[in-house]
Amino acid sequence: MPEKYCTIQSKLNGITIMTVPGNRNASAKDILESIRHQANALSSKNEIMGVLLAGPASGFCCCRIEDSATTRDAAALSAFGQQVMFLLEKIGKPCIAAIEGECSGLGLEVALACDFIVASRAASFGFPGIAAGLIPFCGGSQRLARLVGKSKTKELIYSGNLIDAEEAHRIGLINRLHAEGETLALAEELLAHICTRSPNAIRIGGEVVNAGYDIDLQTACMLERDAFALCFSSFDQREGMQAFLDKRTPQFKGE
Amino acid sequence: MPHKKLRIETKNRVGYILLDAGSRFNKLSITTIRELKRAFAQLEEDVKTNVIVLSGYPGESFAVGADIGQMVHFSPNDAFHFAELGQSLFEQIESCPKPVIAALNGITMGGGCDLAMSCDIRLASESLRIGHSGAKLGIITGFCGTHKLPRIVGKNYAREIFMTSEIYSAAEALQMGLADKVFHENEFWQKISCFAERIASHELTALSAAKRLINAAEDTDLRTGCLLERETATHVNVIQQIV
Repeated sequence: MPEKYCTIQSKLNGITIMTVPGNRNASAKDILESIRHQANALSSKNEIMGVLLAGPASGFCCCRIEDSATTRDAAALSAFGQQVMFLLEKIGKPCIAAIEGECSGLGLEVALACDFIVASRAASFGFPGIAAGLIPFCGGSQRLARLVGKSKTKELIYSGNLIDAEEAHRIGLINRLHAEGETLALAEELLAHICTRSPNAIRIGGEVVNAGYDIDLQTACMLERDAFALCFSSFDQREGMQAFLDKRTPQFKGE
Repeated sequence: MPHKKLRIETKNRVGYILLDAGSRFNKLSITTIRELKRAFAQLEEDVKTNVIVLSGYPGESFAVGADIGQMVHFSPNDAFHFAELGQSLFEQIESCPKPVIAALNGITMGGGCDLAMSCDIRLASESLRIGHSGAKLGIITGFCGTHKLPRIVGKNYAREIFMTSEIYSAAEALQMGLADKVFHENEFWQKISCFAERIASHELTALSAAKRLINAAEDTDLRTGCLLERETATHVNVIQQIV
């Protein structure tokens, strides 16, 4: 069963914690398959409001590095990995990566496909694959370059060195830095807070941000204008604004 | 036609557009947006102005989004036209041949944050309170913010700001790159004038060319951008030598 590499914990407040420690004996394909399986299941469940991808102190998405793959196998693995990351990006719910320990290789690829990353001071990040002649294959080179710039991305991929959490925070790879052992609880608190906001606005906003990032600004702004207008046919818009005027907490439905 | 929601002052080649809607929050109503469009057009024409500073100083807010009391009744069609009007102001600011500095004196939320991002440089007071509350109101922004914010602070911080709908401090804005500099409240205005006057002392031809090129860099591939730079630089540098 591929899902055995992920632990899923769904809470009453609508938050699902997906822990992917991985397994040094598991192949990347097996780990990716288990993430794909869970992401598909989560995205179709309306009662799930937000997803927390947890990287425990033991590491996040560890896997065995295949050294006997043929070109064809490698190409297929890359295509599959990229597909799984896009799936994770389109999950339609806020998705935060909470990293407590090492987040490297496949782990960093997965974290980069989340909405953003929060981490403990003990966390570390990088793409060590170069030592075995490997480069990122799930879109990591593209996502990292867009997030922290080309120079830093080249430094990380060429050297294979891991950077500590403070440096990751300074370069904008992680949004928040927490004391050791507190990351998961604080990330859950933040996600619970986000889940009190309009699911509709969060989903549309996330999609517009993603879709508009790689196209020219004028076309992107047209896309935003139309999505903005669409919000004004929603229950959430009427409820959110009326609650603001009544000085009460809104009760969103995500429709 | 006099302005009701703002005033214009000019001094030492700097034109100041000071939002003053007469209440705690400078709301970006249809009237305010139209007045801003006229004010920018006026200073763009003014030969004595090299740099434009936009601020809500000495008030409590820089600017906030539209009046929620009005927006709650918007139809999708109203929203469409409102977004178009706002976006046309921001396009005007970006294509204005003069550098535009946002002097963020205080509360800068929603549409106000988008207004700040259409300016070339954002200088903030320590009293800055900035954020996007769309997700709390059940909407996204319609004033280019979903694209400007990721381009300024990166996608991850942009998504956090939109998703939390929280208010961020000046120090946080500085760390994310949303504010370029932060000044102490007491010396804020003096530092702003100083900064703006120093830029305004430079040749407008060179300033405009630089603004145009840097804006183009965002949407152009490197080779085309370099060609554009070569043509522009040749033109600008020849003019300077003749003068």
